[in-house]
Amino acid sequence: MTTSESTQKPIEQSHKRVYLHAMPVRIWHWANALGFLVLILTGFQIRYVDLFSLMSFETAVHLHDWVGFAVIANWFLWFFYYITSDKITNYHADLDAPNFFKRYFDQAQYYSHGIFKGEKRPHDVNPNDKFNPMQKLTYQFVMFITAPITFLTGLMMWDVQRFQGLIDVVGGIRVVNTVHVIMFILFVFFIFLHAYMGVLGPKPSSHYKEMFTGWEEPHE
Amino acid sequence: MKTGTTFGTLLLAIALLGMAPAVSMADHHEEVSNPDIKCLKCHSKNLRKKLEDGEKMSLRIEVEAFETSVHRVIGCTGCHRDVAKGKHPSKQPIASQRAYSLKHNQTCSQCHEAAYDTYKGSVHASMVEDGDAGAPVCSDCHSAHAIQPRTVYEPVNGEPCSTCHTEINDAFAQSVHGLARTEGNLIRGEHVTAPSCAGCHNAHDISAVTDTEYLVPKCISCHEVAQLAHEQWLPNAAMHLKSVGCAACHSPQAELRVDLQLYDQLKQAPVRQNESNSTVQETLAAIDTNGDGLDPVELWKLVRQINDQEQASDVTLLGRLEVTNSIDAHRLAASTEAVRSCESCHSKNAEPFQNVTVSLSRKDGRKESFKADPKVLNSAMSVESVGSFYAPGGTRIKLLDGLLVLALLGGLAVPVVHIGLGKILRKKLESDKK
Repeated sequence: MTTSESTQKPIEQSHKRVYLHAMPVRIWHWANALGFLVLILTGFQIRYVDLFSLMSFETAVHLHDWVGFAVIANWFLWFFYYITSDKITNYHADLDAPNFFKRYFDQAQYYSHGIFKGEKRPHDVNPNDKFNPMQKLTYQFVMFITAPITFLTGLMMWDVQRFQGLIDVVGGIRVVNTVHVIMFILFVFFIFLHAYMGVLGPKPSSHYKEMFTGWEEPHE
Repeated sequence: MKTGTTFGTLLLAIALLGMAPAVSMADHHEEVSNPDIKCLKCHSKNLRKKLEDGEKMSLRIEVEAFETSVHRVIGCTGCHRDVAKGKHPSKQPIASQRAYSLKHNQTCSQCHEAAYDTYKGSVHASMVEDGDAGAPVCSDCHSAHAIQPRTVYEPVNGEPCSTCHTEINDAFAQSVHGLARTEGNLIRGEHVTAPSCAGCHNAHDISAVTDTEYLVPKCISCHEVAQLAHEQWLPNAAMHLKSVGCAACHSPQAELRVDLQLYDQLKQAPVRQNESNSTVQETLAAIDTNGDGLDPVELWKLVRQINDQEQASDVTLLGRLEVTNSIDAHRLAASTEAVRSCESCHSKNAEPFQNVTVSLSRKDGRKESFKADPKVLNSAMSVESVGSFYAPGGTRIKLLDGLLVLALLGGLAVPVVHIGLGKILRKKLESDKK
């Protein structure tokens, strides 16, 4: 189906509710969201102690460390949940690259103007394929690249002495910090985008509700 | 006969008169050995010898001092062996007083071989070797003839070190260590053994305290619980103890700097200045042509070029926060007064990061420092060259600040643009319908 054909389809009038987000995923998501917010705030405080004074540098470092460990542990819970369930298909790479990127651009077109014209979503969700191509690529990048790199560089800075060998291999603590901060910058951008994309459901509150109830909200 | 008797009496009288000073000396200084009386007969007087450099050297020996010297038992010829051979060296020319001291520096090693060997590895000996006319030889610390027992070198007044290191000694006297020594080795009512100069710097093997690996372990050798105490509250305590000198926090009034020491990671040792790597200085001079201190690009070039020139080396810059001058380093305060505020370093424009040097280690461990632009700590160019030093907040890279601002603006712009785009499209759709 071409994009022009899809845009000419009538608006979906009824929608069968789908249980998209299982309880463990929802708990993980909100714990992760809270953790990331605290990490971003304390990260800002650590880096810009001359600009912000939400808390002392010392408190910010300790809080950043402890919450960092909690978020790492949470990542492993997420990982083991998905790896041991059939839901891992949500994160499977699409090996048909041309088809994937066609759907990717269909989704981009939908977000850029289709959504405002009331066009049908190009991607139909189900519990084993709940991410559209843009989401899938983003979450694969965030969960399998950005997050682990952030965790690893964070661990290296948490105890420089313990990880000195690894730090030397990658070029020194300044390299480690630079990579950590670049990941931090990406996460800051991601959080803004993620929060905004959350309001692009059938109603602005739909996707937020879904992350609490687990059930997909009806589409008009 | 009468004439003969009178003549004999006169001769005796003259002989006795001639012996008078010696007898008198023997009476008063019973400890001085008999052969030494002969020496002191002349050398207790204000004898002076003209040296080749035109100066005059006093040959007078303070008898009282010599009498209390531990060397009185070996006597004059114990050290002045050229005299023992029956050849008084009065006619031998002496180039200068310094040359004479240097010659007799070897003499001490004849008995004090172990001490002399450790001295040979010291900063003082290295300075002597480099021709520093002010560098101390044995007699500068121990004196030539009033050599005192070891117990005398545990003084409150800092002698003999204070003779040269006067300002440092004054600072030390007011420090927690110095005050403890003058107050009966008491700190807050607790009995302690506060160190004298040699307690930290050793007596003969006097090391360069700027040597990265030297000072912190020295402090911890007495303050055994310091590491544990720091770990109780200081994140990355081990790393802080490695890259921040103790005095940087424990001498709270001290002016601080960041020293970036050229360090060979393959050899696990600072790059030492020697004849083979004199090119380091030439490279530095060629890079920093205007002599205004190394900027980030120049520093990057320096590290690159040294690595290109030196085979089998992996030279980087080892950053260390330390006090700027050695006087401040001795103004150690009580631990309750130590800097504990993280913000004093971990914030932009923190004082320690406004003064940056790049240093090369001399063969004796002392550093030869070159000025660097403080921007080297905040530049993206330094990610490679200053890879081993980073203080979160304090030495943050400006380029990353710019990227973060872009991320924030971008994060805000996406919703704004998207919502705006939606409004425009909806208006267009409505107008198309009409």
